[in-house]
Amino acid sequence: MQQEVVLALLAKEPSHGYQLRARLQQALGPAGDAMNAGQIYVTLSRLERSGLVTCEQAAGLPDRPDRKVYALTAAGQQRVSAWVADVSWPGPGLAEFHLKLIAAAVARLADPLAIIDAQRRELLRRLRDAQRAAIAEPAHSDAAPLLEGIVLRLQADLRWLEACERNWTGREDR
Amino acid sequence: MTGERRGRVLRARGLRKEYGRGAGLVRAVDGVDLDVTAGEMLAVMGPSGCGKSTLLHLLGGLDRATAGEIWLAGQRTDRLSERELARLRCEAVGFVFQAFHLMDELTAAENVELPALLAGRSPRVARRQAADLLERVGLADRATFLPAALSGGQRQRVAIARALANAPAVVLADEPTGNLDSAATLEVLRLFDSLHAVGQTLIVVTHDSRIAATADRMISMRDGAFIDETRLTGGTSGNLADLAGLGG
Amino acid sequence: MGKVLLVCRLAVKDIRYRPAQALLLLLAIATGAATLALGLALHGTTDDPYARTRAATKGPDVVAVVFPDGSQAPGPTTSVGPGSQGAPGISGSADPRELVRLEHAPGVAAYSGPFPVTWALIRMGRKTASAEVEGRDAARTLVDRPKLLQGGWVRPGGVVVEASFASALGLRIGDRLSLGGSSYDVTGIAITAAIPDYPDVCSHLGCFLAGAISAYDPGLIWATEPDAARIARSGTSTPLAYFLNLKLSDPDGAGAFADHYDASASPTAPYLYSWQRIRDGDAQVIAKVQQVLFIGSWLLALLAIASVVVLVGGRMAEQTRRVGLLKAVGGTPGLVAVVLIFEHALIGLCAAGMGLLAGWLTAPLLDGPGAGLLGAPNSPSLGAATFGSVVALALGVAMVATFLPAVRAARQSTVAALEDTGRAPRRRVLVIKFSAHLTAPLLLGIRLAVRRPRRLLLGVFSIAVTASTLVAVLIGYASEGSFLGPRQLQAITIIVVMLVILAAVNMVFIAWTTALDTRHPAALARALGASPDQITAGLSAAQLLPALAGALLGIPGGIAFFYAARNGAGPAMVLPVPWLAVVVAGTVLAVAVLTAIPARIGARRLPGEMLQAEAT
Repeated sequence: MQQEVVLALLAKEPSHGYQLRARLQQALGPAGDAMNAGQIYVTLSRLERSGLVTCEQAAGLPDRPDRKVYALTAAGQQRVSAWVADVSWPGPGLAEFHLKLIAAAVARLADPLAIIDAQRRELLRRLRDAQRAAIAEPAHSDAAPLLEGIVLRLQADLRWLEACERNWTGREDR
Repeated sequence: MTGERRGRVLRARGLRKEYGRGAGLVRAVDGVDLDVTAGEMLAVMGPSGCGKSTLLHLLGGLDRATAGEIWLAGQRTDRLSERELARLRCEAVGFVFQAFHLMDELTAAENVELPALLAGRSPRVARRQAADLLERVGLADRATFLPAALSGGQRQRVAIARALANAPAVVLADEPTGNLDSAATLEVLRLFDSLHAVGQTLIVVTHDSRIAATADRMISMRDGAFIDETRLTGGTSGNLADLAGLGG
Repeated sequence: MGKVLLVCRLAVKDIRYRPAQALLLLLAIATGAATLALGLALHGTTDDPYARTRAATKGPDVVAVVFPDGSQAPGPTTSVGPGSQGAPGISGSADPRELVRLEHAPGVAAYSGPFPVTWALIRMGRKTASAEVEGRDAARTLVDRPKLLQGGWVRPGGVVVEASFASALGLRIGDRLSLGGSSYDVTGIAITAAIPDYPDVCSHLGCFLAGAISAYDPGLIWATEPDAARIARSGTSTPLAYFLNLKLSDPDGAGAFADHYDASASPTAPYLYSWQRIRDGDAQVIAKVQQVLFIGSWLLALLAIASVVVLVGGRMAEQTRRVGLLKAVGGTPGLVAVVLIFEHALIGLCAAGMGLLAGWLTAPLLDGPGAGLLGAPNSPSLGAATFGSVVALALGVAMVATFLPAVRAARQSTVAALEDTGRAPRRRVLVIKFSAHLTAPLLLGIRLAVRRPRRLLLGVFSIAVTASTLVAVLIGYASEGSFLGPRQLQAITIIVVMLVILAAVNMVFIAWTTALDTRHPAALARALGASPDQITAGLSAAQLLPALAGALLGIPGGIAFFYAARNGAGPAMVLPVPWLAVVVAGTVLAVAVLTAIPARIGARRLPGEMLQAEAT
């Protein structure tokens, strides 16, 4: 589980581990079924060790993992903001961007439509570069299919971004 | 003011196109303002039914606007008579369609020379011009082929050559890659790129983001109106290697 | 049962979906059917009435006539041309004694006369006509007994008018008319078998023109002999001639008798006509009318077929798609063919009905036996044979045009039918090369016209047939002149008018189908810069070129028609060249006007909607 995702889920308010897991499950739907129950706790302890998250024991309860309450530190907060504004595209991972949008909406970190728009522009720039490279490449060179592939993937991603935009516009109206 | 206008090839203000009446009123184009400078490549994007093809037809004089003003190559076109519009289409506009719309019984060369013949040029001049244009689009060896013997991408390139026959001020393309596969799309993109490089003004209506990405300016349209305009400036934060999946 | 209902519903829906086309198809077949009905209805109406009249009026077997000295009466031949007008009435009267020796010739059983006869001008109010006035004091003669239909026989100052003449002039008992300057009362109306119906009485005693009097078509009037003589003395009348009615012991030998005693060599000798000749003269008139109708109905039928083929061919592409849809939802090829054929058979039957009705209504105009022969002007009967033939023709035309496409469509693979965009236009290299040198309208026009060569040929054919008929009629008029009797002229006029109407309708069909067919290339041409005027001109040119070709073909065609119709007999052909030029120019002009509207409609539509591949 991407660390930044968990951080973002804590941005709204401190939560128990099981609450975080529930929220993740709800956001991922069937794609999250394969998620290991303990995975989130592993990530949380890593984050704690990095100093991005603090952990408090609920008063008067035995020492069990799901009784702990986690909260962001100032460093964690910074990390989240940087992550939200980041437009690098990590590859075929759709879940991360999807979760970014949801977390941003829930925690009011940023307007999801603005995130989508910024990402779209970036992807268009990349598409432009890739397309120009493809045009410049002679028709039967060895590299042509690779460039074609990059272009097509970016095109597919852009279409997905359009779908996200339609979805999030509808959500706001509700 | 004069300096600005000199560079401007097309201008539209308050364009509106309505069909039907009362409850059945459909606004295909709803209050569009547009400025296109010479040598610019403009992409208009939007979902089906948003009115982008209608807009293109209005700009090129294939259809009459319900309201609004259009200036093309310095002339006010919304008030022109059919005959004058026809002359304008002959001299100032070149059309490229999604369905190519080549005449089935004419060879590639005969298709390309047709606008020149309609404009009154002599057959010899028209034929020579057609040969040059076909050379330019890379189909000099297919000049005597009928459209049925050409692939989709080749047909569209012939159509583009035809659109250039009378050296138009602006080329209007309506979903030029809509009926083409990926490889043919690349051929057409190459051609558009080369046209752009020599300063041809292009307005392309499309929902293919590949074309839009290579345009100077991109306008998004929905329900007959412009909702967004994008100029892609600046570099990217990634490189091709990353996109290809190489590296960490 | 369900299938039958389904077929009916599909056919009716298709007709209602495109009512204008169905209507035009209906009209095309109906016109052909109407002509055929007319022609058949008038067939065989002559012999009986004449025979009846002859028996009832004791018609003569032979009529002999002498003209005044110095006259020249050509007689009842059909080869009289405008150049051989005789002019009697130089001086003096005829000598009846020449006739007397015939009264007792061998073979003569009875005779009546000699009676005096003169040709005079008859005036009533402002109307003038030529009249043949016979002096006859008593009606009840042995031979040629005019039968009174109304009123009484002649008296001094009172005349009897022949029935068909009376009905033509609207004369009734008691009317006053002026003959040769003097005034007379109409005392009676009678019929006779001695002459054919007014106005075709030329075969009786002679055909000539004398001043204002035309003996080509005079009406017959009986007066007392002194009255006749007085009328003859008037300045505008011809001097008295005399004629004799003979009854032979062997009526069949009348022809031989007439030939034997005919002494036409000498100007004062009598002319003799047999009753067969009179009858034939009468029948000849009607026969000529029938001949005209017969040829005309074939021509009309040809044109009707041509137009139907054009129309049905024009609908073929849509029909093919319909066939594909029907098959795709489970219709068998048989069912599909039945639907197509049924629809057109329905139209054909309605057309047959309309044609029969039209024929039944217009037949009295051309009229069978006139008022003069016994046997009142009855409307020609529409017998079972006529009925059957017309229905067969209408159905046949509709089916022939649909059968082949229906069978082909039903056998075609479903997918091919669904995607069928119609026959692709053929490529004509020479035409394309040639048209590149022409101006834009002609360039477009020629290229559009040759896309469908069969339609082009149909247009040429249509115009050629019509032009040939017009040319033949004009040549006939110029060559034989006024010897074409009025009734013939009437029949010819009606046929020509119907032909012109049908050809006009044909040209409109073709222009309309062409405009529909060329919507897409026309829109494309407009997108490439052609103005609507250029497109209109092009579409018009696409029709005008075949029209010109057809009109020019009409000249040799008309000459051929003329010779064929005449079977070689008759005077030399005269080519009225200025009129021919008028026909050619008029045809082209008419086609231009007719096709202007479909062409304009074809060009007016904004190209945007035609060129849209998807709605956006």
